[in-house]
Amino acid sequence: MTGFDQLVGGFAVALSWKGLLYCFIGCLWGTIVGVLPGLGPLAGMTLLLPLTFGLDPAIGIIMLTGIFYGAMYGGSTTSILVRIPGEAASVVTCIDGYEMARQGRAGPALMIAAVGSFIGGTVSILGLMFIAPPLAKVMIAIGPSVEVVLMLLALSVITLVSAGSRIKTALMVVLGLLLGSIGLDNLTGVARFTFGYTSLAGGLSFTALAIGLFGVSEILINLEKTGTIKAITPKLRDLVPRLKDLRDAAPAVGRGSVIGFIFGIIPGVSHVVSTFVSYAIEKKFSKHPEEFGKGAIAGVAGPETANNAVTGTAMIPLLALGIPSIPATAILLSALTIHGVQPGPLLLTDHPDVFWSLVASMYIGNIILLILNLPLVGIFVNLLRIPYAWLVPIILIISIIGVYSVNFSAADIWIMVISGGAGYVLRKFGYEMAPLLLALVLGDRLEASFRLALTMSGGNYATFADTASVIVLTSALGILLAVQALAWAFGYRKAIADEAEGA
Amino acid sequence: MSILTDNSGRANPDRLLPRVVSARRGGMVVAALLAVIGLVFVWQASLLDFGGFDLPGPGFFPLVLGVVVFALSTLIAIEGWRGAGEGETVALGHRDVLIVFAAMVAVAALFEPLGAYLSLGLFGAVLLVVIARVSLPLAALAACIAMAACWYFFQVLLGLQLPRGPI
Repeated sequence: MTGFDQLVGGFAVALSWKGLLYCFIGCLWGTIVGVLPGLGPLAGMTLLLPLTFGLDPAIGIIMLTGIFYGAMYGGSTTSILVRIPGEAASVVTCIDGYEMARQGRAGPALMIAAVGSFIGGTVSILGLMFIAPPLAKVMIAIGPSVEVVLMLLALSVITLVSAGSRIKTALMVVLGLLLGSIGLDNLTGVARFTFGYTSLAGGLSFTALAIGLFGVSEILINLEKTGTIKAITPKLRDLVPRLKDLRDAAPAVGRGSVIGFIFGIIPGVSHVVSTFVSYAIEKKFSKHPEEFGKGAIAGVAGPETANNAVTGTAMIPLLALGIPSIPATAILLSALTIHGVQPGPLLLTDHPDVFWSLVASMYIGNIILLILNLPLVGIFVNLLRIPYAWLVPIILIISIIGVYSVNFSAADIWIMVISGGAGYVLRKFGYEMAPLLLALVLGDRLEASFRLALTMSGGNYATFADTASVIVLTSALGILLAVQALAWAFGYRKAIADEAEGA
Repeated sequence: MSILTDNSGRANPDRLLPRVVSARRGGMVVAALLAVIGLVFVWQASLLDFGGFDLPGPGFFPLVLGVVVFALSTLIAIEGWRGAGEGETVALGHRDVLIVFAAMVAVAALFEPLGAYLSLGLFGAVLLVVIARVSLPLAALAACIAMAACWYFFQVLLGLQLPRGPI
């Protein structure tokens, strides 16, 4: 079967009533969690993850992916109308989007954001469609040593591009790998750190940890905040942009697509970083940079396009290599694994239906979101009027049931509660949760590949640097680690020097 | 992500909670706790077969990682000790945060003995009364409706068998 035939097959699944229904549910829930402050794509996906267990893998993944890009759309609505970024990737949109809304131009801002998101999303799906299959073929030919170096490279990049303290991020990465070692050893079957609890034999429940670390900790942090929300609600007829808006926005959409496309492959917080980079580039390219911050439409179009362009390309490392580059794709990896589908090079040969249905559903989902977001914008904004204290019990009840239903074990509820509390305290002291989660997902495979590579090479560490591709990757890894060590050493010395100066 | 008014940093001097702690000292305590976690893993991993550097056993990876966790945590603690985060504060123990966390601990403990619907119904009602400041009858009614909805959605539609408890 050719790629085109498989894509047609994918569309058949995505356009079935079940495919359309769950794609719609995912997009709708994604928009809602994107709109509501304190709930982002991660919390949205983890909360509904258990609901996919009874579904066909392709349909389940269609729904979860819909939540992911739906949240990107929803986040822009509140950024523009309320100046509240529904999720982290929409922070930049607040700057010019809200200014436009204040000037009575919320409609064009929303329209351009939605159209830009649609174009960015579509470009990235094309990338996913054309890059993932050949990349997967290359990956099939490589051995465990390359896998080890690739995973270490991904984890190093996460640490390097971290917004917070690098040493704290590195600690979270290593802690994630360590927590990933809990349970039965993959190669020997020896129980590790289970302390006699059979419920820990399969390792810590990823769903419980993800909901605890992201969902529960976010809720606890948001409980400390109060405030009144005043939204600007545009009328449907005000949505049409002027010709000048289109002229200004078009190049920004093009550049945003390219930026998001490139950043999507980089592990870490690419969807957030891409929006800042896009904004900076638009300001640089603009003939009127002074308009930025005062309602420049390019300041909305660029970042909104970029953050949606990330969604498709972020799937490439996940689906072709089995390596999640951002936390949202880590949730997808977990979901696929639970469904018995192992993401990675063999996905396209073993489960082509899942891959191509996902690609097809992303096209459809983008259209659903375009239709959903513009006419219903008033309804989504009104969601913000629900008091947060009312939402807390609802979200937590769904979370608890969801976590329990994965393994039907109350121990998982304990894991969720403890990791929620730990996540709250750690985040208060500047530790990021995303690196921990990504490392946790990779931990098992990294260790297995590492030990397998050494077994195959008779204990020879040169196996991690013996072919051209490995040499390139190892060199990149070495440079990254060296940069990281230097950055820490110089930062540390500077801190000491500053302190000495202060004294 | 939210730009709602952040009240976490404000502590009422007349009240015990939330408690404002020094970011430096608190950071050192957190780092010390993480170092202890690293040490616990090192200790437990040392009881497993280490194998060798050429052919690692099940204890190899966790032992190395435990040592790295301990080392990085110690570095962070030393940074704090040398003054990183001086002058910054972190507010911990906001009333609503503590209530929600305590309620979640209670649910975890009572989920199987009391059953899912009773424990979650009580959980929802308590949070509505204490956090959302809803009247008790309204909270009880909302909790009953929510549990009926949960039962229909999870048990009837999705076929999930949740613990029924003594009911």
